[in-house]
Amino acid sequence: MPFEMNFGWTTPIGEVVLGATKADGGTRRISYRIGGGTTLPFLESSPSSPAPLIAFEICDNPDFWSPIVKDYCGDVVNNANEWAKKADADYGADLVRLHLTSTKQRNFSDIASLGSVVEGVLSATSLPVIIEGSNEPKIDSEVYQKCGEAGQGERLLLGTAEAGKYRSIAAAALAYNHSIIAQSPIDINLAKQLNILLKEIGVQRDHIVIDPYTGALGYGFEYSYSAMERIRFSALKGDTDLAMPMICSSADTLTIKEVREAGDGLQDETAIQWELFTCLAAATAGAEILCVRHPGTIVPLRKALAGMKQPAQSAGVP
Amino acid sequence: MALKALDIYKLLPKKNCKECGDPTCLTFAMKLAGGKADLDLCPYLSDEAKSVLGATTRPPIRLVKIGVGTKNFKVGEETVLYRHEKTFYHPPGLVFRVTDTMPAEEIVAITRRVRDEVLTRVGADLRFNGIAIENVSGSAETFARAVETVEKVEAHLPPVLISKDTAALKAALVHCGTYRPLLHAATQDNVQEMCALARQHGCPLVVRSGSLDDLVNLVKTCTADGVTDLVLDLAPENFGEFIRRSTAVRQLAITRAVPDLGYPVYLNAAETGQEDAAVALGIVKYGSVIVTDPLPSGSAKAALTLRQNIYTDPQKPIQMNPGIYRVGSPDKDSPVLMTVNFSLTFFTLQGYLESARVPCFMLIVDTEGLSVLTAVAAGKLSEMLVRDSIKTFGLENEVSHRKLIIPGYASPLSGRIEDATGWKVLVGPRDAAEIGEYLHQEWKK
Amino acid sequence: MRTVTFLPSYYKIDVPRGTTVLDATQRAGLSMNVVCGGQGKCGKCIVFIRSGRAEFDRQKYGRFFTEPELQKGGCLACETIVQGDLHVFVPESTLIQEQKILVEGLDHEIEFHPSVRKYYVELHPPSLADPSPDLSRFLWGIQKSGGPVAEKMYAPLAVLREMPSILRHSEWKVTATIGLVPGGYRVIDLQENDTSKRVYGAAVDLGSTTIVVYLWDLVTGKVVGVASNYNKQISCGEDILARVNFARKNGLTKLQALAAESINQAITSASNSAGIDREDIYDVVVAGNTVMTHMLLGIDPAYMIAEPYVPVVRRALSIAASRLGIACNPNGGVYAFPAVSDFIGGDIIADILACGMGEREEISLLVDIGTNFEVVLGNKEWMFSCAGAAGPALEGGEVLFGMRANPGAIEKITIDPVTLDPKYSTINGIKPRGICGSGLIDLLAELLLVCVIDRTGRINTGIEHPRIRKGTHFPEFVVAWAKETDTGKDIVITENDIKNLIMSKASVHAACVTLMKEAGVTHKDISTIYFAGAFGNYLDKKNATIIGLIPEIDLKDIKNIGNGAVTGANIALINRRARKTLDDIAYRIAYIELNAESSFMDEYTGSTFLPHTDFSLFPGVQELLDSCRIRKE
Repeated sequence: MPFEMNFGWTTPIGEVVLGATKADGGTRRISYRIGGGTTLPFLESSPSSPAPLIAFEICDNPDFWSPIVKDYCGDVVNNANEWAKKADADYGADLVRLHLTSTKQRNFSDIASLGSVVEGVLSATSLPVIIEGSNEPKIDSEVYQKCGEAGQGERLLLGTAEAGKYRSIAAAALAYNHSIIAQSPIDINLAKQLNILLKEIGVQRDHIVIDPYTGALGYGFEYSYSAMERIRFSALKGDTDLAMPMICSSADTLTIKEVREAGDGLQDETAIQWELFTCLAAATAGAEILCVRHPGTIVPLRKALAGMKQPAQSAGVP
Repeated sequence: MALKALDIYKLLPKKNCKECGDPTCLTFAMKLAGGKADLDLCPYLSDEAKSVLGATTRPPIRLVKIGVGTKNFKVGEETVLYRHEKTFYHPPGLVFRVTDTMPAEEIVAITRRVRDEVLTRVGADLRFNGIAIENVSGSAETFARAVETVEKVEAHLPPVLISKDTAALKAALVHCGTYRPLLHAATQDNVQEMCALARQHGCPLVVRSGSLDDLVNLVKTCTADGVTDLVLDLAPENFGEFIRRSTAVRQLAITRAVPDLGYPVYLNAAETGQEDAAVALGIVKYGSVIVTDPLPSGSAKAALTLRQNIYTDPQKPIQMNPGIYRVGSPDKDSPVLMTVNFSLTFFTLQGYLESARVPCFMLIVDTEGLSVLTAVAAGKLSEMLVRDSIKTFGLENEVSHRKLIIPGYASPLSGRIEDATGWKVLVGPRDAAEIGEYLHQEWKK
Repeated sequence: MRTVTFLPSYYKIDVPRGTTVLDATQRAGLSMNVVCGGQGKCGKCIVFIRSGRAEFDRQKYGRFFTEPELQKGGCLACETIVQGDLHVFVPESTLIQEQKILVEGLDHEIEFHPSVRKYYVELHPPSLADPSPDLSRFLWGIQKSGGPVAEKMYAPLAVLREMPSILRHSEWKVTATIGLVPGGYRVIDLQENDTSKRVYGAAVDLGSTTIVVYLWDLVTGKVVGVASNYNKQISCGEDILARVNFARKNGLTKLQALAAESINQAITSASNSAGIDREDIYDVVVAGNTVMTHMLLGIDPAYMIAEPYVPVVRRALSIAASRLGIACNPNGGVYAFPAVSDFIGGDIIADILACGMGEREEISLLVDIGTNFEVVLGNKEWMFSCAGAAGPALEGGEVLFGMRANPGAIEKITIDPVTLDPKYSTINGIKPRGICGSGLIDLLAELLLVCVIDRTGRINTGIEHPRIRKGTHFPEFVVAWAKETDTGKDIVITENDIKNLIMSKASVHAACVTLMKEAGVTHKDISTIYFAGAFGNYLDKKNATIIGLIPEIDLKDIKNIGNGAVTGANIALINRRARKTLDDIAYRIAYIELNAESSFMDEYTGSTFLPHTDFSLFPGVQELLDSCRIRKE
């Protein structure tokens, strides 16, 4: 290109490894190194950092899951192991993100069972896995301990640390060498604050993935988009407390009226398109793990991401 | 770079003469910095000051108007690379493409769809903006007929005429030449004739090349020829190239490094092989005229919504209309939750309330779109506001109790709200995610 | 009628049955600490019924008392109805305490040049040979004795009416009081014989909580008396908004009278202690915030608290004292400081005058913190200002054991990094009753340094220590055990208190940064930070920087100016040239509405961290924290 864009970036995005193969003491068939970007997403004319990863989200209790996804996936939603297997083999995801939604039940106490759920999913798929623990401070500590233990050696990505609860998840991650999703409510300052809090209790930068929280398309997505752009911008400008890869989940997008009430026969198409639009925009803003819940989103999303990663002057449209 | 108020002040005469209508030069400088005043109001500006201050006010990207009448759309005049730096001003025109080989009924149907389809969201009517007619038949006559078919619908949509053949364009312009159609496209091969056509009909013109060097040359040729309403087609081979070139054009334009790239960008999603994704990328990555085959319902709505999101002024958060909103079917004993009219706060709370399955009322007060935290800090959220809102919206008639749940971050105001309203104030959680649990535990008591 | 006897003072008062005990105390002249205005909400007006019949709902208000207190007859005065003759014990802690008076002066001398002067003249009586009128004879006489030129003086009708008799009765030996007024000089008063040594002036800080008066001998240029007392308007509402609401309900006349009365009380007590006659006070200079000034002048303040926040008057005003009911010489004048906006009032202009930032090249930052805060940034050429609500946390409100800077308030704290035991000192050295603003700032900084709280203010409940507890609602840290305290309760700080404090400090810091951005300067460009306001003098500058209340600059460049309002009023009282500059200062200041600044929200969240999300703004604090954290590991 004859004209050079000069942004004055100084600092590459830090790298985080997801999943451990046999060589690294785990049982995953692949591990990913995300991050490493040196400019805005997709601007390198010969791309060096990999395309964003696509994670498929499953859960161990589908009561609160989107009915559109449940209808589409069928009975498999009731069996996390089978679902994980399908995400890997049929849907073609890069990662499986397991939400332990069973912990959302009132007075949930069967924490011991969570260990076997995690183990089950880890044996059902050999992809790297993201585990989302509980939302209940009272049982947090035990839940994360259990998840961390069950995934020992697998280099999991554990979710979700927030400013109000980060100590127990950090303890589990530190004990079993997992990485952490650090979620803050759509604000660059709050994202940075949480990263500093984690750093100050010993979590290394290369074990943190930022989740700036993704609002639903049409319902606050623009704030998430700008928060991601700003985080990436500040990171490249040298703010190492923000120079971590980001994760985006389009989960909220499936809950909004436009998708829920898309009309007969249009629900899957609408859900897929809204997830696709959300994920693509998030990817251009800097997200490197894109989480989807509708299996149909994965193929078009992967195709588009591949196009975005294509170098200059390759064969293409005239 | 926008100048700070103080930088501007240093260039002003510092006479405090008040002739500009402001009490002091400093307050005038503040208005200038915020783009709220016109430089000409100051009668005592030195020539040096004029040239420094004037240069920063000329937009680095040209504003181009496409179409005429009420449905015309304007693109360009953007000033930033990231929306958070200021805002994106002119949303891209989303234009549906027809070809001149389509049956007339299909052309008519698509034209009508663009005319009629509307998505109403957050108080705004979202529409597609125009109709592109592409000459794929190779025949000028067929092309002209297709254009005529579109025009006969009398949808008055801004047209985009796509043809490599100037003769075909000439024929088509017979039918829509006075409607400021966008002509596509001038290339190295036809730039002279295209300029002549554009000049003759006063049309905006697309220049197309995969090389920024060539684009600059084309632009120079056109402007030298008197055609200044230009749009750049970057002819990307793939999505990656689109993002790179579009970003480069935007950056080089707004920094005024290459003023000849200071024009809006055109993207034909129809030629990328994945239209929906192309439209999404066009919207976020500086596309200003995006041509696409008619999108199916799902992606059509997603595209309009994404465009609305991205082109929202990030410094002016979308505001909800203040008032009483219902979640589920609340009755006289249902809880009332007060919060601010910052849309994200509203939607987040509403979402959690819906999933909590507790029917309730939301009392939305007008903090001009500030979040709870900021509204409290800046004094915008006050007990008077809450009191007046309760009165104005008739909350007293909705419920028989007198209990108001306020956001956790508004807890400093709890006592004052009680005093001003006479309602008992319950301080809710800081995080909306905890509202379900809160209602289950606290409200039941 | 029922007789209520207050113990231990044995004040007696007769009140009708059905009166509240609070009413009775007020009628008996006892000033109680009533934060909520007598709504049964704050639990501060605790009294004990020793004997007699009274009605009080223990069930409803039990939460304010310990069991032993209830057994001893603990009641809230505002919610207790007199039924029969009563003996009521009023604990000291319930009464409003005398506040610490800030007598901080300046570090430079102010030229003594008051606006009011007395001239003793002995005139030649008129004769057929010298038939000029009384007035010109008199004015010429003054001019000849060193007074202003005759043409620039005028005498109001009231003086003219008295003039012929006073001149003749005194055998043409009179003392004239001449005051500088816009456009010339005014004959304020005419007295027989030589009273020229008796001319006094009062500088008044009209605060919404406290009134401070400095009484000056305008002949010698010495302070002869200082007094302070609570603003009596508190009975109409604790904060300004409440008072404006009170004014809306036809209460303006009462508020005006109370403001005047409060000033009068302070003037009277200063005069009495100085042994002077109030009639000899001719010049009263009042610096108050915009709302307080409006109320003193009897101008409706209602329109400035709602959009578009327009005050009625900005410029300085001179008014005859008698029209405001100020107890000085009835012909004396009251000078009210000008204002910039609804929020930047005469008190802030006085701060600016006191610190002198408006006269220097270098850029200064002035921070005045109370329930509201005001920030001014600038130099002699330009100034930006803004204001916002800090919330009452920094003054001890909205904090469980927060209190004003009254006796018994913990005002300084350090915490041992190993044992986590605090060392504190209280105002007047008595047993602690609570923590005031300066103590809270110390506490926040110390808790951070010893790693009890993280940078968002959350208490690390993982630390096993008796002082760190789960608490009833929030985790808490015990500052003083029950056995050490005056109240017999543990004094704690909760995580919620800390959050409120951080929100308050974040507002202040974000306001500073917003002004700095508007002006395009960084903390490195700021030569001096001035702290003004009630707790400015007692504030630990280092701790204020550690928590990120203010931008980090060299500690030696942070200066406490204490009560800048009264200092500014003092200057304006004794230096007429300074007084003349005030309108100009006010005029030069541009006001920035934080509500309208989109970046304020960003700055605010960035500031809700200790000291700040952007460490590069606090390099020194960052280094300090790093080192103490290493020590901790």
